[in-house]
Amino acid sequence: MNDKGMGLLKKPFKFGYTLMLSMVLIMALLVAACSSGSGGSNSTASEEAPATATPEASTEATKEPAGNADGSPLEQALAGNYKGTKVSMFGPFVDVDQVKFEESIKAFEEQTGIDIQYEGSKEFEATISIRIDGGNAPDISDFPQPGLLANFVKSGKVIDVSQFLDADKLKGNYNQSWLDMATMEGPNGSIMAGVWNRSSVKSLVWYPKKEFDDAGYTVPKTWDELLALTEQIAADGDPAWAIGIESGAATGWPATDWIEDIMLRTTTPENYDKWVKGELPFTDPVVKNAFEKLSQIWLNDDYVYGGRKSIVTTAFGDSVTPMFDHPPKAWLHRQASFITSFFPEGLKSGEDYDWFYLPSIDEAYGNPVLVAGDLYAMHNDRPEVRAVMEFFTTGESIKTWVQSGGVIAPMNDASLDWYPTDVERRMGELVKNASTLRFDGSDLMPGSVGAGTFWKGTTDYISGTVDLDGALKEIQSGFNN
Amino acid sequence: MKRTRKKTMSKTIVNVVLAFICLIWLIPTVGLLVSSFRPAVDILQTGWWTVFPHRDYVTQSTITLPKDTDLRQPIEVNGEVFDDDQLRSGVTAQDGSRLIWENRRARTIQVQQPDWKVNTNFTLENYNGVLTGKSFEIMQADGTIKAQKGEGLSKAFLNTMVVTIPSTIIPILIATFAAYAFAWLRFPLRRSMFVAVIMMLVVPLQVALIPILKDYTALGLNGSYLGIWIAHTGFGLPLTIYFMYTFISQLPKDLFESAFMDGASNFTIFTRLILPLSVPAIASIGIFQFLWVWNDYLVSLVFIGSQPDVQVMSMRIAAMVGSKGSDWHLLTAAAFVSMLMPLTVFFALQKYFVRGLLGGSVKG
Repeated sequence: MNDKGMGLLKKPFKFGYTLMLSMVLIMALLVAACSSGSGGSNSTASEEAPATATPEASTEATKEPAGNADGSPLEQALAGNYKGTKVSMFGPFVDVDQVKFEESIKAFEEQTGIDIQYEGSKEFEATISIRIDGGNAPDISDFPQPGLLANFVKSGKVIDVSQFLDADKLKGNYNQSWLDMATMEGPNGSIMAGVWNRSSVKSLVWYPKKEFDDAGYTVPKTWDELLALTEQIAADGDPAWAIGIESGAATGWPATDWIEDIMLRTTTPENYDKWVKGELPFTDPVVKNAFEKLSQIWLNDDYVYGGRKSIVTTAFGDSVTPMFDHPPKAWLHRQASFITSFFPEGLKSGEDYDWFYLPSIDEAYGNPVLVAGDLYAMHNDRPEVRAVMEFFTTGESIKTWVQSGGVIAPMNDASLDWYPTDVERRMGELVKNASTLRFDGSDLMPGSVGAGTFWKGTTDYISGTVDLDGALKEIQSGFNN
Repeated sequence: MKRTRKKTMSKTIVNVVLAFICLIWLIPTVGLLVSSFRPAVDILQTGWWTVFPHRDYVTQSTITLPKDTDLRQPIEVNGEVFDDDQLRSGVTAQDGSRLIWENRRARTIQVQQPDWKVNTNFTLENYNGVLTGKSFEIMQADGTIKAQKGEGLSKAFLNTMVVTIPSTIIPILIATFAAYAFAWLRFPLRRSMFVAVIMMLVVPLQVALIPILKDYTALGLNGSYLGIWIAHTGFGLPLTIYFMYTFISQLPKDLFESAFMDGASNFTIFTRLILPLSVPAIASIGIFQFLWVWNDYLVSLVFIGSQPDVQVMSMRIAAMVGSKGSDWHLLTAAAFVSMLMPLTVFFALQKYFVRGLLGGSVKG
């Protein structure tokens, strides 16, 4: 039979295994070569991009003042000039936070007719890089880690908000420390990379108030009093501190917050800034001193619930539960304001729990406050996006969220009356009246340190796998990557 | 007689070993299932296995020591002397009972005896939270509390179906055509094209994410179902083509020859012969592709995003634990809800699955 006309083969054809294998290997090599090659071309592309992008931005900026004659972007938006437009926004908060955020912008959306489409993702940090590199940047993105934003500013992917925001208004509405923290180095000089919206305070020590008072303890005003209280509680039969730093891939971050708080209390703010920038190495005696202060409490098995070993294996959110046993099994917990969402349900703020300010160690450095917050950055320059950005600089943009609890407004025009409880109002006051305000250092450091060796090195030290000097060297090595 | 006994013996051994392996395999899933019915507070305190009857210490009585007992000195209890560490971890006294601190502060010690214990605190709260959405209590300006229902899984479940079904059917359809052509038709460059397809198997899909995203941005396909269907089809094709090829190339050639003699066109051969004959293979690769797309997180994260109207279940579940992960206990229930569909598909196609795996290995 002649199979020529059939269109069918006699047998299904077979490939030699050697041929197949070698092709697969070649392909694997090609892919490896491509991925490193594309990495190279990507970086050149991102270097070129700002050069082409900035002239546009600056021409628009020069155009803008003419349009400014009839009011700032926000005023124009309120006048209804941008009705029907859409602004996309991307950020890390999901679930209840997302509901509260959407509640807080609802009035603005109704008034202006601008639709702010918020998209929240648990994988914000990873996704935002893909989105921006893939040319699919949202109009506004919400960075809880300014260090990450700094990378995009460096490659020119972020628009300078000071082009259209009134500098005097900003100065009037934010503590200068906040504005300094938003200023970042771009390809053509420093720019204001975004506006601060929601924030949280970190220098807080939580305690079960009722039981604490009943036991006759008093809130310590100095570090020595704090240590004395710790010792007193230990003598009474309980470990004073509830500490847990387990947090999945981010294990160790609560420990870095402690170190930062102690750093602010044992050295000058200037030294702190240098430390964050990597100019003051971790191996410096100043930093080592902070770790030693931490060790005084953390490494004493009488002071920590479950002892040193349990610190690294206890989830940070679960670590608070012993404080609310009856009677409490632990008494003190240093954590940011958000920790209340991990407290068992049904507790009353101000009665069942309260906080005190982590006392200063050396009076020479005043009462510094460690904060964290979300920096809203802008990627696409359209008038309605400008209006939304300006809206985010007002206290009004976060009012209902403050009222529902859980966040601190960094703006000065946010009234202290908005806070739902005294416990939160005092946090607002603490931020407003702080002599020194510094941002969570690990969020400002380069990712290889702040979200890498700092977490890991501290965890290794606490768990006892390396000694202090070894841990400090390990952390410092992250700056070389 | 002897031989049959030997046979039954070895069969029993095989069965016992298999049952044992199955048990080990199942333990994590069973643990997850049990945990999904337990209240969050309980999960923190005791393991899921405590729901089964187990020996544990049960407190018989408590001893109160003098308030001023120094904990850093040896402590005397009922005429015996222990130190603090022993009492913390529990220590056996001479009469066989165990002594352990109830409250160090109040200086009370529990005297315990071992006894049987079962933990029967179960709840449907986790499933309720997952299926109907969590309820948030939001304090209003005037101090009243507004309860608001969060998003449940139902919308995300539908979205996932909309993503998964076409993403399973399209690549398999294309792959079956392609496999037939590669196996039985002659056309130029067939060999090199097939090798190219095979080579795609070793390309990790992650390298393609950003380039594809750039193209999608230009085409406006981001966040649309069409975009993710195409993406999943593309990522799934190499394996599906290869799988279908190995199966179809094993079909007996005589069948096609006689069909061809009777005047059947290629299309008729394909629809009348190839398709019915390759049902087992289609079913088993269908299960693979379905599971892969159903459980996928990365591709949906990049191409479809987390807007609520298109969000798929894997992302919705991740979001459910909250920004700070405080609602982790919902994950257990959510995992089971998301498992329902793949399990249904698997059991529906299971008999083909086994046949498909053997496809081509046994000739006869």
